[in-house]
Amino acid sequence: MDSSCPVSYPFPWAPAPDIPEHWRTMRENPLLHVTLPSGDPAVLVTRYKDVRQLFADERLSRNTSRYPASRISANNDLFGDPEIDNDPPRYLEERSVVMRAFSARRIEALRPVVKQITQELMDAMEAGPKPAELMEAYAYPLPILVICHMLGVPPEDRAKFRSLIDGYLSVTRLPDDEVERCRVQYWDYLSELIAAKRAEPGDDLISELIRVSQEEPGKLTPYQLQHWVKTLLIAGYVTTASQIGTSMAVLLHRPEVAEDLKANLELVPSAVEELLRFQIMGTSLGSLRYALEDIELLDGTVIPKGATVMLSVESNMDDDVFEEPLTLDIRRQDNHHMTFGAGIHFCAGAALARMELQEATDGLLRRFPNLRLAVAGEELERPVGGFLAGYARIPVKW
Amino acid sequence: MGALRVTADSSTCVTSSLCVYRLAQVFDQDEQGRVVVLDENPPEGLRRELLRAARGCPTGSIRVEEAGEGVGEGVDE
Repeated sequence: MDSSCPVSYPFPWAPAPDIPEHWRTMRENPLLHVTLPSGDPAVLVTRYKDVRQLFADERLSRNTSRYPASRISANNDLFGDPEIDNDPPRYLEERSVVMRAFSARRIEALRPVVKQITQELMDAMEAGPKPAELMEAYAYPLPILVICHMLGVPPEDRAKFRSLIDGYLSVTRLPDDEVERCRVQYWDYLSELIAAKRAEPGDDLISELIRVSQEEPGKLTPYQLQHWVKTLLIAGYVTTASQIGTSMAVLLHRPEVAEDLKANLELVPSAVEELLRFQIMGTSLGSLRYALEDIELLDGTVIPKGATVMLSVESNMDDDVFEEPLTLDIRRQDNHHMTFGAGIHFCAGAALARMELQEATDGLLRRFPNLRLAVAGEELERPVGGFLAGYARIPVKW
Repeated sequence: MGALRVTADSSTCVTSSLCVYRLAQVFDQDEQGRVVVLDENPPEGLRRELLRAARGCPTGSIRVEEAGEGVGEGVDE
């Protein structure tokens, strides 16, 4: 790839559930000039060792809406809120309030709830028509039900909640006024939900955050509290749903690997980790940062001050770090992939997502030992113009 | 080979929980979800996994040392 002539980003997906062509060759150059969906320019850091180091570099600001950074798309402010300071020390103070709910002990306490939800969804799948559609029957409802349980969103609100988030997460799929309508309604819905929890606290994360923000005033203002709830609800839903779907598509597209895993279910955790590394639904758009100074990469290439920078999740395919990176190896060790990022912005919900993915995968393979794709992998459709690009539909039979 | 010594900086911990899932006999978390080292001198048999835990920590908050010399904060085995 020529580094000086900008290429469109995100890169095109492979036709089958496999690693896209660009991901294989992009590391010839450590820094690629790309054009975002908005038409704005950015640079993409391609090599794992640079990416890992830069995730911990405070010369890259996460406050992309406070600086003249490039926009992801013309109509989407997903990561832009000038009222929120995403850099230390302020960011760390806020994050520390939220993270207590994501400790290993708290996540493990949720595991039986997740297991129960997977069983109920699979009961419905089994009773329903065949082939089943995995996204609608399983991948979307599971994380919504889990995050709604965790945050205390009432069951009757869940459908509305989902349609607002789906609209809000459009990058180019919906017209601007429609995205804006979803954004405003979603924010208003959260205001009502938080007000209801203030009036009548429950055994849920929103009530806990309200309590902590009252006990330690200044750490989390009401606006910041609502911002975190908004982010947690979105992040807890779409990413996990897309990954449940694509990881099953990647797996079922490789029947010999699926057979191996079914025969060795104790490998589910390392398989989930490998499917996270081998993920084909995410892009590096979520890593957008702004260079406060010139920054030198390991080979001497310089990111110029003022550049909008993305840290490549495609570096999961760097053969300098991962042995045979294009092979899906469910026994892979030392799998320190960049799917959840690194540094202080490391995905807050990573442990929750892992646990859900483990239960989702283990549950499906136990209940449906003959599970397979009902269409060829090459025929699976991707949604157009969304922030994440999992599959729109994944027909399966058993 | 000297005894292993494990330390962790809870002030830079971001609660990825990776170390706890890898080695629950060595790492735990406090009520805020921040790393706590349960066993500062774990047995030699855990060396490989300890180095993986150190390398996997997203903020490099774990140090594995031996005989006063650092052997594993994100370094290769």
